[in-house]
Amino acid sequence: MTAETNGFGPVATRTRTASGALLGVLLIAYAYTVVTAPIDATQGVIQKILYVHVPLAYGAYLGFVVTALGGALYLWKADEKWDRLAVSGAEVGVIFCTLMLVTGPIWARGTWGKWWSWDPRLTVTLLLWFVYLAYLLLRNFSEGGSRTARFAGVYGLVGAALIPLNYFVIEIFGGRGMHPENLERGSLGEGMGMPFVIGNLTLFVAFAYLLLLRWEVETLRARNLAESVDPVALAREEIGT
Amino acid sequence: MNYLIAAYGVTAVSLAAYTLHLVRERLRARESASRARETNNG
Repeated sequence: MTAETNGFGPVATRTRTASGALLGVLLIAYAYTVVTAPIDATQGVIQKILYVHVPLAYGAYLGFVVTALGGALYLWKADEKWDRLAVSGAEVGVIFCTLMLVTGPIWARGTWGKWWSWDPRLTVTLLLWFVYLAYLLLRNFSEGGSRTARFAGVYGLVGAALIPLNYFVIEIFGGRGMHPENLERGSLGEGMGMPFVIGNLTLFVAFAYLLLLRWEVETLRARNLAESVDPVALAREEIGT
Repeated sequence: MNYLIAAYGVTAVSLAAYTLHLVRERLRARESASRARETNNG
């Protein structure tokens, strides 16, 4: 089965293959820059968790933005491929968000002396995770169909409102929480910029690879399901009669 | 150092496991489609 006949775009397949190859090169650069990055004078070596924790957060945001965009496009165009993209974005976003919620407490235990604090950023992040976990549960435990997809489209759009809240919550609360403020240009120490950029680039490419792979799986599953329901119609569609 | 290894280790293992899961799912879906096509043709 070719990329075109399985209903998944050849451009998307080529992009996934290219991102997979690029990822291999980036992983080597990522490991090298993290190992050789300078050790923070205050926190020590544990500060290097920054180079994975923050990119994971950006990946989670990106996944949930994809869910909102996919949902919006589905509501507008009524094309199921956008709904499948929305589901894929939510799943990959939840994976990244889960890992952010794992790496954060590991860092916290080493610096604050405790795994968790009900700080505004941490609380809103947990809420964000629950919102998209509920989205995935909705998609997995409902019958599917256009009604579910429409509801999920609206849910994804409303849920995306939590992303800016999550990002700006520290400023909204006037920096009173335990979580450090958002990074700004020049706020990293000397020599820490490169591993941070490479870390973000690596996890962005990993995100793109996983998203496209997940989207292809969702497309193949939908196609198989449709084929099992009406094989004759699909065979006709393939030969163009 | 242990915390650092734990953070990077859990991320690397989880993302690798998820990638393998998706690759297997894609293979399974493709095989299923091929079988269905053979049945229809036969």
